[in-house]
Amino acid sequence: MKQFFLVFLFLAFSVSPSVFAQTDPSDFRNFPLVISLHFHSLSLPFKNLKSNFKNVGIGIGTEITHNGSNNWVQQFNVVWYRNKGIGNGIFFSSQVAWRPHLVGSGNGEIKAGLGYLLAFHPTTSFVQQEGKWIKADRKIKGMWAIPVGIGFGYYYYHPETFVSPFISYQMMLVKGYNASVPLVPQTLIQVGSRIHFQKK
Amino acid sequence: MKINYINLFFVLTLLFFVEKIKAQGLEVMPCTETKTINTNHPKANELKALMQELVKQSIPGVVMSIEDKNGVWENAEGYAKLEDLTPLQPCHLQYLGSIPKLYMATVIMKLWEEGKIDLNAPISQYLPMKMSKQVPNSEKITVKMLLNHTSGINEYNDVSAYICQLLQEPKRIFQPEEYLQYIGKKPDFEAGSRYSYRNINYVLLSLIADQLTGNHADYMRKTIFKPLGMSNTFYRIEQGNTYDKRLVNTYWDRYSNNILENSSVLLNTNTASMAGDDGVVCTPADAILFLKGLIQGKIVSEKTLAMMQEWVSDRKGNKRYGLGFAYMEMAGMKAIGHSGGGLGTGCQLYYLPEKKVFIFTAINLGTVTETPIFKEAEKTIEKIYQVLVK
Repeated sequence: MKQFFLVFLFLAFSVSPSVFAQTDPSDFRNFPLVISLHFHSLSLPFKNLKSNFKNVGIGIGTEITHNGSNNWVQQFNVVWYRNKGIGNGIFFSSQVAWRPHLVGSGNGEIKAGLGYLLAFHPTTSFVQQEGKWIKADRKIKGMWAIPVGIGFGYYYYHPETFVSPFISYQMMLVKGYNASVPLVPQTLIQVGSRIHFQKK
Repeated sequence: MKINYINLFFVLTLLFFVEKIKAQGLEVMPCTETKTINTNHPKANELKALMQELVKQSIPGVVMSIEDKNGVWENAEGYAKLEDLTPLQPCHLQYLGSIPKLYMATVIMKLWEEGKIDLNAPISQYLPMKMSKQVPNSEKITVKMLLNHTSGINEYNDVSAYICQLLQEPKRIFQPEEYLQYIGKKPDFEAGSRYSYRNINYVLLSLIADQLTGNHADYMRKTIFKPLGMSNTFYRIEQGNTYDKRLVNTYWDRYSNNILENSSVLLNTNTASMAGDDGVVCTPADAILFLKGLIQGKIVSEKTLAMMQEWVSDRKGNKRYGLGFAYMEMAGMKAIGHSGGGLGTGCQLYYLPEKKVFIFTAINLGTVTETPIFKEAEKTIEKIYQVLVK
């Protein structure tokens, strides 16, 4: 766990040190508040589409630009999802996103990065200690994950507070789920918006 | 866009946290039935001590029933349900995992004895066209190849899409023909060319038996359970039925970290979905009744029983499977019967011809996923085998 936070902090503060010192770029403001609604699933992409929308989650995050523009950013997100079937989870991630302009104010998005999943048990769980069974509901398992995703968004810069909505499909390859299934694909369908606050 | 996202965020957060996750256990009670377990059996003390060792090694519950020249001995250690520490008893119902493959094979052999099925005929002769079309090589695969696992049909339950759906929707009931969608369009190997254990073979046998009998489960009850007096055996179980609160709760180590999760709903649904390859719950005594009845020629003839023991070998030349019977060596001694495993169960039903011993053991911990618990438990199980073959 400690290792994870060190890596997360490293990513947060080292990917683009210049952004902390720079002035506002012409069409992007660093550190928007990103809030999102998520649908989590343990499944392969596009298989059994209906189940992709059963398990809802929420996310909060921010991002910083790599080149002073909206089309090349580093994202930092924390997502909490609820999944009765396989257990709830909290997913921390940092991803590099490339957003090519498509049409008008619309843009595509391709992203990839590194994440860490804290997974809970979906039901009552137990562990034996000194011959006695005790509840272990609060025990969580931490697993590294590689998130990759595609998406679409709307971005129209405004000098005052403005929002830029987006939708994306994220697949996470979670490592070390258990000894029999070492790599498990999980998916998140994300709908959300970045709130770019007016700078005072 | 003037949406108040902050308010929306907090409302959603509140909604998510107030709903609690329901526990996935089933109600189970201590049984009222009392039965002599023959404490004077010469192996009783040794076996009881080893079963207690398994429980100390984090197996929630273990039950054993044996029958040999010294009579019947039954014992249970540990718990049928950890949540309320309900003690496990021999009268509780156990999930048999794959052991019912031997039951299914017996049904097919009875149909063969009745002249209703030709073991060397292609399965396309018996399956409805819409199912037959889904099975690659169905014109070449014979009924016998399904029975001895030489069909070459791809497995359904190691397909990621199936596993993910099973875990993601633990309460979803599958119909037997649904499994055909996971076997792919090409066979794994040429029909009859080699042995490879596949659950789908026995699902197909159940579908064939349905065509011949109308309902293979009813036929099984009529021709096997009833004549042998197996009143505590249930096949094609009803989802959520606890059978008078006698069905054990089951557990699995989801994350391979020694923490056990109640898998009862998942296993119960899975067992209720299975036909031919799984799907039976019963008491240890009933499992022994079945194997004893089969071996003693009470269900099929001696000739048929001998056919069921025509072994096919694996690539290393080791005898593996007959027609429904699995072959194994228990501490170096020949054993015939079947093993079973699932997301919350592990069991064995075997006969040692040399010693004339019938054995049934079951644990309510899943054996299909790895857990560090088995590292030590396997050593204890080997010690149990040593005692049984003495």
